[in-house]
Amino acid sequence: MVFPAIVVVLLFNYVPMYGIQLAFRDYDFTKGLTGGAWRGLHYFEQFVTNYMFADLMKNTVTISLATIILGFPAPIVLALILNQVKWRRAKKTLQTTVYLPHFISIVVMVGLLNVLLSPNTGIVGHILDWLGWGDFNMLASTRAFVPVYVLSDIWQHCGWNSIIYLAALSTVDPQLYDSAKIDGAGRWQTILHVDLPAIKPTIIILFILSMGNVLGTGFEKVFLMQNALNLPVSEVIVTYVYKIGIISNQFSYSAAIGLFNTLINFIFLVAMNAISRRASNISLW
Amino acid sequence: MKKAVPILLTLGLGAALLAGCSGSANNESGSAAAGNESGNNAAGGKVKLTAIITKHPLTEELAKMKWLQDAEDRAGVDIQWQEVTADWDQKKGALLAGGDVPDLIVGPNAISDADIAQFPGLFQDLTDLVAKDAPNVQAMFNDKPETKVIATQTDGKIYGLPKYQRFWPATATRQFINQKWLDHLGLKMPTTWDELFNVLKAFKDQDANGNGDPNDEIPMDFAPTGTGGFGYFQPTVLLGSEGITLTDGSGTGYFVEDGKVKNFLTDDRYKQMVEFLHKCYAAGLINPEVFTQDYTKFQSVARGTGDTAKVGFTWGWEVTDRFGNQLAPQYTSVAPLKVSADSTAKLSWDYDYNSLNYGSNMVVMSAKTKNKDAAMKFINELYDPKVSMQVLFGSLGTNIKDNGDGSYTVLPPADKNMDPGTWKWTSTWADNGPMYIADSLKLTLGTDMQSVGKQTEPLMGALGAVNPRTDVLPSMFIKYSTDDNNAMSLVNTNMMTLAIAKYSQWITKGGIENEWDGYVKNLEKIGLPNNLKIMQKYYDDYKSKA
Repeated sequence: MVFPAIVVVLLFNYVPMYGIQLAFRDYDFTKGLTGGAWRGLHYFEQFVTNYMFADLMKNTVTISLATIILGFPAPIVLALILNQVKWRRAKKTLQTTVYLPHFISIVVMVGLLNVLLSPNTGIVGHILDWLGWGDFNMLASTRAFVPVYVLSDIWQHCGWNSIIYLAALSTVDPQLYDSAKIDGAGRWQTILHVDLPAIKPTIIILFILSMGNVLGTGFEKVFLMQNALNLPVSEVIVTYVYKIGIISNQFSYSAAIGLFNTLINFIFLVAMNAISRRASNISLW
Repeated sequence: MKKAVPILLTLGLGAALLAGCSGSANNESGSAAAGNESGNNAAGGKVKLTAIITKHPLTEELAKMKWLQDAEDRAGVDIQWQEVTADWDQKKGALLAGGDVPDLIVGPNAISDADIAQFPGLFQDLTDLVAKDAPNVQAMFNDKPETKVIATQTDGKIYGLPKYQRFWPATATRQFINQKWLDHLGLKMPTTWDELFNVLKAFKDQDANGNGDPNDEIPMDFAPTGTGGFGYFQPTVLLGSEGITLTDGSGTGYFVEDGKVKNFLTDDRYKQMVEFLHKCYAAGLINPEVFTQDYTKFQSVARGTGDTAKVGFTWGWEVTDRFGNQLAPQYTSVAPLKVSADSTAKLSWDYDYNSLNYGSNMVVMSAKTKNKDAAMKFINELYDPKVSMQVLFGSLGTNIKDNGDGSYTVLPPADKNMDPGTWKWTSTWADNGPMYIADSLKLTLGTDMQSVGKQTEPLMGALGAVNPRTDVLPSMFIKYSTDDNNAMSLVNTNMMTLAIAKYSQWITKGGIENEWDGYVKNLEKIGLPNNLKIMQKYYDDYKSKA
């Protein structure tokens, strides 16, 4: 029965990988992906010695880490809270409300941010004005870019991501709660000693997986939120690849940067997996 | 049997997916090939061609353009058009990398010189075809030799054909001020930066639009700066006050002064301009959203509400386009400002004559086109004097009146709610089409073009003093080798990321005095001096020939 899966994975995940040679060759249209002159690590060197390299790495890591550190625990907390709501209808309504934003497309989402945060006409702008921070334009600030990016991301996806934890929580044997109560545990202690251990494997696996995305900041949102003023913190590897590859037609160079990005993700993934295997015996492989 | 079903399903699904993928990519060539094979013996003996046009979002369907149907008929072709209005850059990447291009691609620089160099063999060398099938194109090359220079690549071949549209002014950017506000507050028209500052300050403090709310005026606004470079309608035109002649907006900062290629990003005069803009910004005279708004918002803000104008001083193409029909009468065009009353710098302005009147690679042909002669005959039709006029302004009868004595008049919009510019862009290809408007054509222009001319008059003194031979970077006429082009664009991408960020930061927060030296050093480290050297070499080479 595994055979069909193997075929699909080979066909769609491994066969296209021959294309990564492009990162080591000059792209020559007439000779196809594999026909250009071999340049070895030339394009990698070009990237690492690039003037932009340090900034790109710093911005990408900052945005990704902030998203993980703040964004990862949020759905867990939300799931634990939702799990405490005993009235079924309230729980359902609450759940639907928090996961609906997930379906807003990124373009609309950034449009919303632009409208809400506009210092002249936006509601947040008016609130800030009222608080006496009238001159603060969040869309333009290098300090506010990462918080705005991360918080709006959490708002949008936290509800949806909590579903998997809620599912894990639903498998907890009710007897455990009862016995915890008999032992005199309050709500807080049930969460700490029953709920959390129950979803621990899910948490660790999802965390390892998300570490593999450390440099995988989503392209669209960053690109759409980018403007002249926040450029020092919003230029990340993927947006730079877009500018170099698509706008300037340098396919080999952008392929090399993309591959470099993937390589670092892979290292993070392996490292986290090893740490978690040592520490808690839970791992991907 | 039990096992076979999922396997078959998987393979079937895989095949379907593969077919789906390649299907969407090959659609164009599939139908193109089918069209061509049956082409010559199709009904009416017409040759079937496929084409892509990158048109303006406003432009209506090509099927409704009478002049185009007529031109196709005369050339004996039947073209299946694919009309692209957005995201052409992304679509193009996939199209070219896949190697499947339609017979013709029409649009201003839709296929750039860099694309042609990057994808050799994909596009047809038109040199012989022009000589054989296209007398109208040949006539353009003879009358305006510079069009041939634009068309000729470094290897001496011609892949894309240029356009020449003659009537356009020498600059894209005009400078407007609200005359009604000036009169209302009893102020004089500013002539220097300091006077401008005082006028803007008065606009801000004294309820210039007289609606009772002293805080809703935006004294100065300019077009959003992209993250990739500057452009039209931006305060960089103030560099003209210091004697720098921008060319085609100088998006990446390059300009020519006395025959030397320079970049204003490291020029002290640019520093001075940024300092002035910061002074304005710090005094609350510039729209606080100037770096975060998009172009649509920039335009809609200036159109105000009813009779109440919002913006005092700004830049734009034409007054009705910038402020709408209702507010337009309140504004007048301003002459270039001096830095100060005792400044001796020769006033200049953004000189865009080349990019507004010429265009490169307006139409290219696929090397795989089956019936190249027929395709070339159609292209030749577009360059016919009478057709070209209709490419630009719309069909004879509905958009242009034939006066019968060999002269023509552009008619006012049939839709009374539209301004002439919008009407033109709606009903025809307008500036996006290949064309040759001969200098001998007798044509009376529409009101929009006449008023552009009028609004350019205050700038003419400065523009007239520009010497195109020594003060203008002839970007359109210079072809770089692929290696030089790649090296330069890499440097430019890095350079603009730094420069645009610093520019916007210095204007809004200040700090240029302390950061300037480090910034200049960084731009040099990125590779600006080398780019200047390359450009100087090509520029000298161009001048020695022209």
